[in-house]
Amino acid sequence: MENRIFDSELEKLDHKVVQMCSQVNQQINDALRALKEYDLKLAKKVINDDNAVDTLDVKIDRLCQKIFALQQPVASDLRYILSALKINNDLERVGDHAVSIAKRIEPLEDYRQLVADLGVENVSEITTLLFADVVELVKTHDLEYCQKIYRRSSLLKEGCETIAAKILSEMMHKSEVVVVASNILIIVNLIERIASYSNNIAESITFVVEGEIVKHKKNMQ
Amino acid sequence: MTVEKILTENMDLYYGAKQALKKISIKIPEKKVTAFIGPSGCGKSTFLRSLNRMNDLIDGVKIEGNILIDGINIYDHNIDVVTLRKKVGMVFQKSNPFAKSIYENIAYGPRINGLKDRKQLDEIVETALKNAAIWDEVKDRLGDSALGLSGGQQQRLCIARTLAVNPEIVLMDEPASALDPLSTSKIEELIVQLKENYTIVIVTHNMQQAARISDNTAFFYLGELIEYDKTKKLFTNPDKKQTEDYITGRFG
Repeated sequence: MENRIFDSELEKLDHKVVQMCSQVNQQINDALRALKEYDLKLAKKVINDDNAVDTLDVKIDRLCQKIFALQQPVASDLRYILSALKINNDLERVGDHAVSIAKRIEPLEDYRQLVADLGVENVSEITTLLFADVVELVKTHDLEYCQKIYRRSSLLKEGCETIAAKILSEMMHKSEVVVVASNILIIVNLIERIASYSNNIAESITFVVEGEIVKHKKNMQ
Repeated sequence: MTVEKILTENMDLYYGAKQALKKISIKIPEKKVTAFIGPSGCGKSTFLRSLNRMNDLIDGVKIEGNILIDGINIYDHNIDVVTLRKKVGMVFQKSNPFAKSIYENIAYGPRINGLKDRKQLDEIVETALKNAAIWDEVKDRLGDSALGLSGGQQQRLCIARTLAVNPEIVLMDEPASALDPLSTSKIEELIVQLKENYTIVIVTHNMQQAARISDNTAFFYLGELIEYDKTKKLFTNPDKKQTEDYITGRFG
């Protein structure tokens, strides 16, 4: 016996979560490319496209609500829908961060060399690779991607911390760059947050597949 | 600490030549609600009825293996079945009040056990009806016929009748399947309250009901106990694929 109505609702949900992930991935890539190339038009597009991400966020929330109310999911279905809600939330936040980065590009016009010297491009590249793994993980539920994600996240965080230290040093020595350096520091912090959200998504998919809550594991051991 | 009340070891049951239960080994803890789930014909009701030897009433039933309650094998030749069924009461799917007054339905069991003192009977009736959460609804009409009660009230009356002979274990075979959601909810609340004093074993086709009220759940399929675990584990992350397929509605 199959449960066709339920299965089709789950397929619909899965399709939307993958779509959300791809859209957010596009937003991050566009925001980081706009930053690298000082492309204000692309930055504007990221800001405008956030509406589509928000709309999808609400649709996923509603679909999860509907499934909870009408299908009373249990076992792997329950774990999947609970995780879909959390992943959706994490993705929406990553989408917001892409927008926040895009909004902070314009004042950097005269400081593109500083951005390059600080090595922002390096962390941007790691972020792109990291989120490509997140997209694959969400599509396939192949937990091999989790290890890749944790490794890249860790690398990304280290890179962001190094840049933050460099920025603070710049600020101490050159008071004229304080305003713009603060702006870059915020961008780097936003990129670093993407690493945390990626880890969250990896933990959620692990919960779906294995039924085990792995978040905060280090703290609880 | 949980104490086991019922223990079965490699229990087989045959209806004539047909084996209905295969090597059932389970430990049912005291003062907890244990739910049996599984598709029709999986053996869950047969197993439930074995726990107070109701299957003795069916011709051709043969049981092998052990069923121990408080460490005593209930199929030993020296076991008095009437005493066993006082200790292990039963509530059925369809409420079956006697065509007597509400009072007499409850007083019936204690009376046939030899109790005649009216004051004591009054106390037992009141306590049983209170424990079955129906006292407030019937206290002013104890002399009325039990058949005038609603389906949900009749079922709680039958639970009260079971409690009146002071059992330690209450077996319930789909006790709320014929009731509306409100009556079902009252029965479910009652079951959760009853586990303070009684060991409850319930057969249900309603998996949400098993999930809501039971501490442990056993999944039966084709006469076998497939999986038995804490309810919260079984409904979030079952170990066996058959359990997963059944509870998610993708069976077969």
